[in-house]
Amino acid sequence: MRSMKTSAAIAGMALAGLVLAACGGGTGAGNTPDNTVGGGAETKTIKLVAAEYSKDNTKAFWDAFAKTYKEKTGYSLEVQIISWDNLDQQSSTMIQNNQAPDILNLNAYASYAKDGLLYSSDEVLPESVKSDILPTFVKYGTYQGKFYGFPDLSSARAFFYNTDLFTEAGIANPPKTWAELEDAAKKITGLGSGNVGYALPLGPEESQGEFSMWLFNNGGTWKDQGKWTINSPQNVETLTFLKKLADQKLTQNNPARTNRADAFDLFKSGKAGMIIGFSPLAAALDEDGKVKYAVAPFPTNDGSESKTFGVTDYLMAFKKPGNSNQAAVKAFYELYYQKDQINTWIKSEGFLPVTQSGIEEFRSDEKLKVYLDTLPNAQLTPTDDPTWDRVKLAVQQNLGRAMTGDPKAVLDELQQTAESAS
Amino acid sequence: MLRGGRVGSVHPLVALLWLAPALALILGVVLYPAIKLFGASRSEYSITGLRRGDAGWDNYAKVLEHPSLGTVLANTVTWVVAVVAVTILLGLALAQFLVKQFPGRRYVRWAVIVPWAASLIITSQLFVLLYDYNYGIINHLLINVGLIDTPIDFLGDDSWTMFSMVVVGVFVSLPFTIFVFIAGLNAIPDDVLEAATVDGASPWQRYRRITLPLLRPALMIATVLNVIYVFNSFPIVYTLNDRNPGYLHDTTITFMYKLAFKSQEKDVGMSAAAGIFNVLLILAVVLIYLRIINWREETSR
Repeated sequence: MRSMKTSAAIAGMALAGLVLAACGGGTGAGNTPDNTVGGGAETKTIKLVAAEYSKDNTKAFWDAFAKTYKEKTGYSLEVQIISWDNLDQQSSTMIQNNQAPDILNLNAYASYAKDGLLYSSDEVLPESVKSDILPTFVKYGTYQGKFYGFPDLSSARAFFYNTDLFTEAGIANPPKTWAELEDAAKKITGLGSGNVGYALPLGPEESQGEFSMWLFNNGGTWKDQGKWTINSPQNVETLTFLKKLADQKLTQNNPARTNRADAFDLFKSGKAGMIIGFSPLAAALDEDGKVKYAVAPFPTNDGSESKTFGVTDYLMAFKKPGNSNQAAVKAFYELYYQKDQINTWIKSEGFLPVTQSGIEEFRSDEKLKVYLDTLPNAQLTPTDDPTWDRVKLAVQQNLGRAMTGDPKAVLDELQQTAESAS
Repeated sequence: MLRGGRVGSVHPLVALLWLAPALALILGVVLYPAIKLFGASRSEYSITGLRRGDAGWDNYAKVLEHPSLGTVLANTVTWVVAVVAVTILLGLALAQFLVKQFPGRRYVRWAVIVPWAASLIITSQLFVLLYDYNYGIINHLLINVGLIDTPIDFLGDDSWTMFSMVVVGVFVSLPFTIFVFIAGLNAIPDDVLEAATVDGASPWQRYRRITLPLLRPALMIATVLNVIYVFNSFPIVYTLNDRNPGYLHDTTITFMYKLAFKSQEKDVGMSAAAGIFNVLLILAVVLIYLRIINWREETSR
């Protein structure tokens, strides 16, 4: 009898193990409507999978958009909003199961274009829209001569500093060079009581963003004229400088293990003198009203003209058998890029425009001036190269190691990763 | 036991009819995902999730050759053994205390359930805040008491990370374990213990010779289920470890997730292969454990 029970227990546990393992695999197949209507019939309902930029505004905007879309075009739009944390996983699952949405909102597109999954602008984007999109974004949205990565919104980084701490430490102006930045950081850290000069997030969440801003302002690049330049002398110099800041304890504790959100929290609490921020951080600071801050161009190593790091996310369009969704998708973009749609949306989320007409419209906002001036010349990461989608992850996971190791060795390794993945 | 047609003879098809819902459940919830998982592990996927074709056993080879596999396996062993061992020991002590009659026992028992009722992600996030280097209450307390001068980086300092995760693991595993032991202790007949007392056994002898042996089924259940839960525990390791690069403190479960979505591999096929290894690993561990238990039982007779 006892052995019966035991083997029943073993069987039960084996099942439990399997179920748990299967659940751990995270194959949460979504309920995607069946778009593949037989015989190439035209699709009347398309599906949008959108990223959740904010709890308050994202859903409200897309719901209203879907309503207008239905009224104006006769097509229906089904909207699914997914948090950034889950978006990669969910979109990958959808594609594995052959249930890609018609339109997907994500921070990468080139790998999808490479896999031949996407419509190019020739097929779904009205010419007037394409000519309105800022040339920088068209450039980075183009893979092998065709424009696939249609930007939904953008952001540009800028240098934020705590004016109270600057006054207290006796610093008159924001730094223009890295030497001045180091000096300011020393003075602020010297104030004691837990103040840190510069908040440096090199944790795995977004270290490529932080490092981009720094290396662009030392004349560096990730990729130049078709060649990876991750371990260029400028980039090694840049990372060595960051390590120097950390070694002198001018940053917060353990920068290699600090994610961006935690660094922002530190600045919001008034304990950090300087940080790289963007417009949503400004909005959060204004709402709190606790910290006095100002925004300036990021200092460069040698005091030359400052460059900014720009980021866009994408709304990419998936092909379906027989191009049954082409007309509906085209109608979607036609409506989305109308001024009263896209600009309302970008404003409500606190980001920056992606079109010429958008820049004109946002120009009146004094607070955005510092970003708008730099936006048309912003430098982006090489999002037009599918390899970057992999390199980005390698950078996120490994860059922080330079804080306790050798910056050159870390960059050499990343360079090798990029070259072998190309 | 079902023995064909003895008791109120039933046609096999009728029996099948009664079994159908359970069978459908097993097929749909267990077998189907397992087959899909195996299929995925033998396929080649693009970074986007698009299936490119068959991969044979390549994904398995890639997992076995992964430079971080050793670290991940070592972490998994430390994590499972530490959490389960500490949980069982603490659980035994606390259960012993909670079966005693005292005023307010009911409320204490309720309170014990709370960590179990809360979502693991929320609990983990809460501990992230408690452990925080700049604002965390734990550092604040330790400094105020004078135990340390500078804060401890519980989640970012490699020598502390695993310890900090184990504490949370024990915290969330305790409620279930305690209640299994309370049930086990309540099932021990009082007269056996009384008889022992009459025979002059000391409290420790009573516990060692009577309570513990009679608690063996509860101990076995608690150990096996905890090993499976802790082994498969994703939220704690993932949340407390999200600031750390690479696979320094990952267990096989978070390793599998990162392979699919966060690492430079970003390969669903490889992740599925790692998932198959996970299932085999936990099955092997549980079988070996049950073997040992059986073997002890046989030799003790």
